[in-house]
Amino acid sequence: MTEPRIVVCVKVVPKPEEVRVDPQTRLLERANARAEINPPDMNALEMALTLKDRLSGTVEILSMGPPYFEPVLRVGLGMGADHIHLLSDRAFGGADTLATTYTLAHGIERLRSVDIVLCGEESSDGATGQVPQGLAEWLNWPQLTLVTELEIDMERHVARGQRSIKGGYEILEVPLPCVVSVKTASNEPRFMDFRLKAQAASPGRMKVWDAAALKTDVNHTGLAGSPTRVSGLASAASRERKRERLTGTSEEIIKALIEVIRNSVM
Amino acid sequence: MVDSLIHPHEAKPEIWVYLEHEGGNLQTVSLEILGKGRQLADEMGWPLCGLLLGEHVVHLAAQVFEHGADRAWVVEHPLLGSFTIDAYAAATFQTVMKGKPSVLLFGATPDGRDLAARLAVRLRTGLNADCTDLRIKRESGVLVSEVSGFGGGVLALIEMPDHRPQMATVRPGVFPVPGSMPGSQGETISVRVDLSPQMIKTRIIERHTSSTIDLTRVPVLVAGGRGVGPDFTDLEQLAHLLGGDVGATRPPVDAGYIERERQVGQTGVGCSPELAICCGISGAFHFVVGIEKAETVIAINSDPEAPIFDYADYCVVGDIHKVLPDLVQALQAARELTHD
Amino acid sequence: MSDDAVLLNDELWERLLELTGGDVALCYQCGECTAACPWGMVREKGLPVRLVLRQAQLGIENTGAELWLCTTCGLCQATCPRGVDIPAVFRALRQLAWEQNRVEKGLPSMLWSLYWNSNPWSQPPSTRSAWAGNLNLETFDPARHEVLLYVGCTSSYNRRAQKIARALVTLLQKAGVSFGYLGDDEPCCGESALSIGNQPYFEEIAAHTSQVFIEKGITRLMTISPHCYDVFKNHYQEVPPGWQPLHYTQYLAELVDQDRLVFPHPLDFQVTYQDPCYLGRLNEEYEAPRRILKALPGIELVEMTDNRQAGLCCGGGGGRMWLETPASERFAELRVAQALNTGADHLVTACPFCLSCLEDSASALSRALPVLDIAELAVQAIGERS
Ligand SMILES: Cc1cc2nc3c(=O)[nH]c(=O)nc-3n(C[C@H](O)[C@H](O)[C@H](O)COP(=O)(O)OP(=O)(O)OC[C@H]3O[C@@H](n4cnc5c(N)ncnc54)[C@H](O)[C@@H]3O)c2cc1C
Ligand SMILES: Cc1cc2nc3c(=O)[nH]c(=O)nc-3n(C[C@H](O)[C@H](O)[C@H](O)COP(=O)(O)OP(=O)(O)OC[C@H]3O[C@@H](n4cnc5c(N)ncnc54)[C@H](O)[C@@H]3O)c2cc1C
Ligand code: SF4
Ligand code: SF4
Repeated sequence: MTEPRIVVCVKVVPKPEEVRVDPQTRLLERANARAEINPPDMNALEMALTLKDRLSGTVEILSMGPPYFEPVLRVGLGMGADHIHLLSDRAFGGADTLATTYTLAHGIERLRSVDIVLCGEESSDGATGQVPQGLAEWLNWPQLTLVTELEIDMERHVARGQRSIKGGYEILEVPLPCVVSVKTASNEPRFMDFRLKAQAASPGRMKVWDAAALKTDVNHTGLAGSPTRVSGLASAASRERKRERLTGTSEEIIKALIEVIRNSVM
Repeated sequence: MVDSLIHPHEAKPEIWVYLEHEGGNLQTVSLEILGKGRQLADEMGWPLCGLLLGEHVVHLAAQVFEHGADRAWVVEHPLLGSFTIDAYAAATFQTVMKGKPSVLLFGATPDGRDLAARLAVRLRTGLNADCTDLRIKRESGVLVSEVSGFGGGVLALIEMPDHRPQMATVRPGVFPVPGSMPGSQGETISVRVDLSPQMIKTRIIERHTSSTIDLTRVPVLVAGGRGVGPDFTDLEQLAHLLGGDVGATRPPVDAGYIERERQVGQTGVGCSPELAICCGISGAFHFVVGIEKAETVIAINSDPEAPIFDYADYCVVGDIHKVLPDLVQALQAARELTHD
Repeated sequence: MSDDAVLLNDELWERLLELTGGDVALCYQCGECTAACPWGMVREKGLPVRLVLRQAQLGIENTGAELWLCTTCGLCQATCPRGVDIPAVFRALRQLAWEQNRVEKGLPSMLWSLYWNSNPWSQPPSTRSAWAGNLNLETFDPARHEVLLYVGCTSSYNRRAQKIARALVTLLQKAGVSFGYLGDDEPCCGESALSIGNQPYFEEIAAHTSQVFIEKGITRLMTISPHCYDVFKNHYQEVPPGWQPLHYTQYLAELVDQDRLVFPHPLDFQVTYQDPCYLGRLNEEYEAPRRILKALPGIELVEMTDNRQAGLCCGGGGGRMWLETPASERFAELRVAQALNTGADHLVTACPFCLSCLEDSASALSRALPVLDIAELAVQAIGERS
């Protein structure tokens, strides 16, 4: 029986609370924000490593982004991933999800013989949650989304996953290769193993692919390949709690409460 | 630049809404989007169309018209009996290529997001994700969507001037459900699609609507503390009315008043509801880390100095055993009013 | 032998000996430790400390949940006739468990929070100094400040513990101490990683943190938590020359002795004092907190039966602040009962972990026993509200 070759798509994101919109320029200020692995991608990594614990095989990290992603991605090697592929080129900048999925799909195709691709449910920055499905479409592979549990059977070459749906779950089976999105918080990511971490800095553990190496079409990548345009940006209302006291007669308080409830959920 | 399969000049000035249904009823989120769609359509003078997929769904068209659509595109096929991404993406794609709408909206539900995301790539167009507001520019017919990112800290306006259809998924709960207009009529367009069993890669092994407790994703959390005492009935009622679930601090769990799975906090679960209502909870650090990600927090506590008020947006100083029954009653009354 | 035990190969056995510094070899299996361990008072099976040591000697690893019960309180060690550093043995066994990815749920998340947020409480690093709000604290400058106030993660983020920090600031200002703090740049001490046995990660944090101290010219600092104090004093390898970490009670006691800190405002309380394990047993500082209490006018200290060397742990050490303990097994409940027995009207302590656990248990027992940190009590005696 062959061992699975697993790819995990990992995005490096700024800590959300440290990102601001400059009220004058209306541009995102993220330069000084601390970077971290997109937290849902940690769940995808954990799911991949659990599969590797059971079935052997390899876990490779695939990421599209600027070179400064590198040290953050190496955290994944400390957890037990084998290799990093960083898709990095100026031509990839400013991508929306169409261009992002195009580029990632080219990465997967260039790697060849990948059995399964795991993604997080959504990123903490763009938070569209539409990269995994778009990636599956470019590859013309089946998809399993929002899974909390995943098994793969290399003999039958299928993946079986438990997908969260409204009020419950469904168990789905698709043939490999396929793309999976892992439900956020469906597992607890293992911490780095310091014996692995000690080897994580080795230059041979990461390969950078530029547009030429990926053979991507400039019309499909980055800003050029993106149908969507951002036409305005603003900071949302402050995340500080309001601490507003509702006062008055009990009828007035109930009325005010219902108003708050309406505004937040109804 | 990549071109979308449908060119802007061949797109029809129409707004389409993909409709989800269950048990013979349109889902709330689909009604919400029909309501918003109607408003946009009126502003533009465009028709509003509903897109219905399933095995036997044509009878739902009446509901579609009652909620404001001018037309219903109906796609019936035995392979559309239950949702698989393969069949639904193929059927939607074929229908969209026939109708060529300028705007195509989905609910940002698990199925709606999956379908829209796959379809957008197939159509080589853009997709605005999880929108909280929509408008259409009168001169150009360009859809402007409000989306948020960075944990809700940043709002962005997104548009796609040169690609059609202009696709968006819409966050459930942001637009009101429109009143229904019984007897409204419209045009039903039945579409034949080409689907074969070989196209379907996904095998549904089983489906469970489970009653397992999972507070991590509830939209409304009604959490009770020691101040509630042994009886959580009021909280359960409130949670039920709001489509949420009940959580607790550690003391009621310790006392056996409520299940351990409902403990919220450092050594319980972390929740990220739209709304958390904290009843009779003092606000210890080990508890509040569990509700930090809540969008809005209401706290009700008889002690005006309770620390929980520092972590709340709206604070009520009062006896939980008085406030909660009053609130439940008022909500029930309000609900009956809208249902009459 | 429990079902959870598995036989180790020779290589692992040697690692175990190496990690425990050969301490396990000293044990002659008298069982004093098991008898002394407070788990025996709350759990039918207690914590079979002797057996854990025996298994370690034989190269059999205990892989069960028992490994994570130990609060590293040191009570057993204090009674061990062979002087075995038992908490260190537990930490070593935990390190092996980390290497095999077999750890209690919740602990990896705590370490990830240390990694991404520089605190174990999953709080944003950018709000670390928010507690100091409008206190106008100065950033530490060796040319101007006698001492650094090292706040620590818990007192920075836990609203209840922030009150200790604010009370301490008031006391220091009142005594005219020139001190600075590090604001959002304060690095974590790493104790939470050490106590759950992730020695390599602790060493990484410690190396980074001491580098920060060296760069900023810090030699004298006071901590709020005895846990930070303990690692700074006993577990940091590379320290600045003249390194002098203090617990804040030691610093305040000095100020009292020098008459720099005086308490004009009489109180009228009977208090009993909880010795935090990491201040008392692990660092033998029993008197500094009591000296402060004595200096407070109108405060009478009544001791609980178990005090000083015999002080009972609150249950919060060894990573237990991040783990659930069944309601019937919380040491803090026993401790609160002891405190109530003294007739005291306040239970005071000098550790944010003790404060959390004791306050939680005091309210569980539905008894009006306010739990305060010494700094909070002291601030009342200078006529300020805490
Ligand atoms: C505030 C804001 C709003 C936005 N709204 C939209 C929008 O409505 N429509 C749109 O098309 N674009 C939008 N974008 C752009 C979008 O964020 C980028 O296209 C981004 O490259 C991918 O989308 P995502 O971050 O939403 O990924 P998601 O789809 O949320 O991510 C899901 C998973 O895909 C994988 N993944 C995502 N990006 C990468 C990557 N670069 N490398 C490796 N794996 C990755 C990860 O596993 C991740 O967990 C928005 C950006 C911002 C900042
Ligand atoms: C290691 C450790 C882990 C812990 N983990 C958790 C955890 O995961 N989750 C958790 O919740 N706790 C946890 N705790 C316990 C935590 O420290 C607090 O003790 C607990 O959260 C307090 O719960 P409470 O607010 O319900 O009770 P209390 O603190 O007793 O507060 C009750 C509140 O109810 C109010 N009240 C009373 N009667 C009424 C009334 N009629 N109407 C309105 N208000 C009323 C009171 O004013 C008071 O503020 C943990 C503690 C430790 C030490
Ligand atoms: S250190 Fe404390 S908890 Fe751990 S074994 Fe010894 S007595 Fe028990
Ligand atoms: S008290 Fe010391 S010598 Fe006795 S069993 Fe325990 S560790 Fe061994």
